[in-house]
Amino acid sequence: MNAPAIELSGLCKSFGTIEIIRDVNLQVAKGERHAIIGPNGAGKSTLFNLITGKYTATAGSVSLHGENVQNLKPYQINRRGLSRSFQITNIFPKMSVFENIRCGLLWSMGYKYSFWTLVNRQTKLTERTDEILEQINMTSRRNDIAGVLTYAEQRALEIGITIAGGADIVMLDEPTAGMSHSETDYIVDLIRTVTQDKTLVMVEHDMGVIFDLADRISVLVYGQFIASDTPAKVRSNEKVQEAYLGAAMEAEH
Amino acid sequence: MSVVSENASEATQSPLIVWSQILPWIMASVLLAALPFVFGSGSALTIMNQMAITIIFALAYNMLLGQGGMLSFGHAVYMGLGGFFCVHLMNMVEYDNLWLPLPFLPLFGGLFGLMFATIIGLFSTRRAGTVFAMISLGVGELIAASSIIVVAFFGGEEGVSGDRTMGPTALGIDFASQKEVYYLTAFWLVLSALAMFLFSRTPMGRIANAVRDNEERAEFLGYSQRYVRLISFCASGFFCGIAGGLFAINFEILTQENLDLTSSGIILLITFLGGVGFFIGPIIGAIVFTMLQTVLSLYTEIWQLYLGVLFLMTVMFFPAGLTGLLAMHSLPYRLGKFSLLLVPYAKMALPALVLVLSSASLLELLFHARHASVGENEMTLFGITFDSHALTPWIVLVVLLVGSFMIVKRQAPSLYDAWQSANHMEPRS
Repeated sequence: MNAPAIELSGLCKSFGTIEIIRDVNLQVAKGERHAIIGPNGAGKSTLFNLITGKYTATAGSVSLHGENVQNLKPYQINRRGLSRSFQITNIFPKMSVFENIRCGLLWSMGYKYSFWTLVNRQTKLTERTDEILEQINMTSRRNDIAGVLTYAEQRALEIGITIAGGADIVMLDEPTAGMSHSETDYIVDLIRTVTQDKTLVMVEHDMGVIFDLADRISVLVYGQFIASDTPAKVRSNEKVQEAYLGAAMEAEH
Repeated sequence: MSVVSENASEATQSPLIVWSQILPWIMASVLLAALPFVFGSGSALTIMNQMAITIIFALAYNMLLGQGGMLSFGHAVYMGLGGFFCVHLMNMVEYDNLWLPLPFLPLFGGLFGLMFATIIGLFSTRRAGTVFAMISLGVGELIAASSIIVVAFFGGEEGVSGDRTMGPTALGIDFASQKEVYYLTAFWLVLSALAMFLFSRTPMGRIANAVRDNEERAEFLGYSQRYVRLISFCASGFFCGIAGGLFAINFEILTQENLDLTSSGIILLITFLGGVGFFIGPIIGAIVFTMLQTVLSLYTEIWQLYLGVLFLMTVMFFPAGLTGLLAMHSLPYRLGKFSLLLVPYAKMALPALVLVLSSASLLELLFHARHASVGENEMTLFGITFDSHALTPWIVLVVLLVGSFMIVKRQAPSLYDAWQSANHMEPRS
């Protein structure tokens, strides 16, 4: 079982005549924390949607643990152990915080589409849900409706939903976007704890977060990777500095 | 049955029997058992039977609209098909020696509804939203239209009729009397309502809510939105079929009317009037609607106008339905501030009543003056007989209307203030 957790080979995606992703190759090893960076419009979210089954690739292939998942639906890919969050908060706003997490658990705990068991009677399900609430520090918000939470809390809840099912590959799309410094620190800590021993792929703009969390970084520019290496090497890569990082780093200071 | 919001379901460690959850069901069953002793007349029993059937149908419809977020415009089809199938079964019992005791008949109506829901759901539930609504409309029209073409099954224009009393009997019950049919209907009502309530508490029921709220998120949690919708659709079709079977037993005839768009529209109206966000909503909607339809129609020819106005007011001012209006009062009650509302409500009650009655009287007067046959100028309202072509009743009613409106308008701010303070929560520390 030495197959990489995620392997992209020759991946292309075009919308009409516009090529968004152009021949992307990538291998993410098991347990690695991989960040994807790149300027706006580089195709980061498209790449995410290709890996998670929301879009179908025009050419090339996506494999998870050595198995081709091309043409599988999002729910089928999720069942193979890949879970994701979204750039724009994507939770169940009308449900309680507890129920949000519980929805994330149902499939992985084998309940499928059953209509002969009552959810409230499932002691293990309730316990597991409460454990995850504890893990994301939201026990005190347990019975609140998710839609009334603060933005940062909703982001934390979404991470909770994402990891609830126990997926071994976690993909986070800009988890700290729009957050204050203290909120960002909180979310980074949260990500670090909940993705222990898991493969993590994240799109992120905040360089601090990336150098803090990532083992490797890939830089996507105009639908192509121009570098894929350790943070230190990426930082010193001339092409990267020229295309993207330099400007961003300067803006940071 | 208590007002249960599906969003705030508590999920604490639950012992096998929770009295607070079971009590409403026991009370409802006792009430249903006792009702014929209070309202024993044939027409009252018929109204109650019709109410029970409408409740099952509305609850089944809300499995789609409220629980699954699917707006169906052709749902009468599944109830109608179940009903037609049951009439045919009754006829087979009568003429072909089929052994089928009547109490089990609704189950077969349900299975027939389920079968058709599966066939149609397989393609109609691929997408939610407008696509689903349009397909349901098309299928509804298709089957309603084919009822005149496929005469063997639908009986053409006069429909299909049967006789419920021809089946095997036990303990001398042959369901010839209305009361026996009432208890059979009430039994199926409790059984179906309980089953639908429990369905919403299963993993499938919860995920149906999840798909309704955010189908994309649900897909990325391992659930196919399409299967979730299909299963909800099938379950709904099953319970619609049960309602159809009960209809067949009660009325012993089904016609094209049971399938057409009007019936589908009415069930949407009932469910919305009661409140889609609450399990009990469709029940309240069905009771209110049946009362208006059967009782109000005895007194006035323009009852549908009142129904329409009530529906419009609900949609505009209380989108959560009549149940939502009741549920709004639970917060002041829990805060112990309900007493703050009593005086303003009492002050408002009389002028509001006069306002409603005087506007209704004006409508009646107008209707009578325009539509009564020539020479019949006398009409009776609230026990008072007068000439609808004279000027006096008009003046009296307009004065009452304007006067009560002014008083209501003057009282409104103090009621509003009372409402605000009754709902005021101390900020959480």
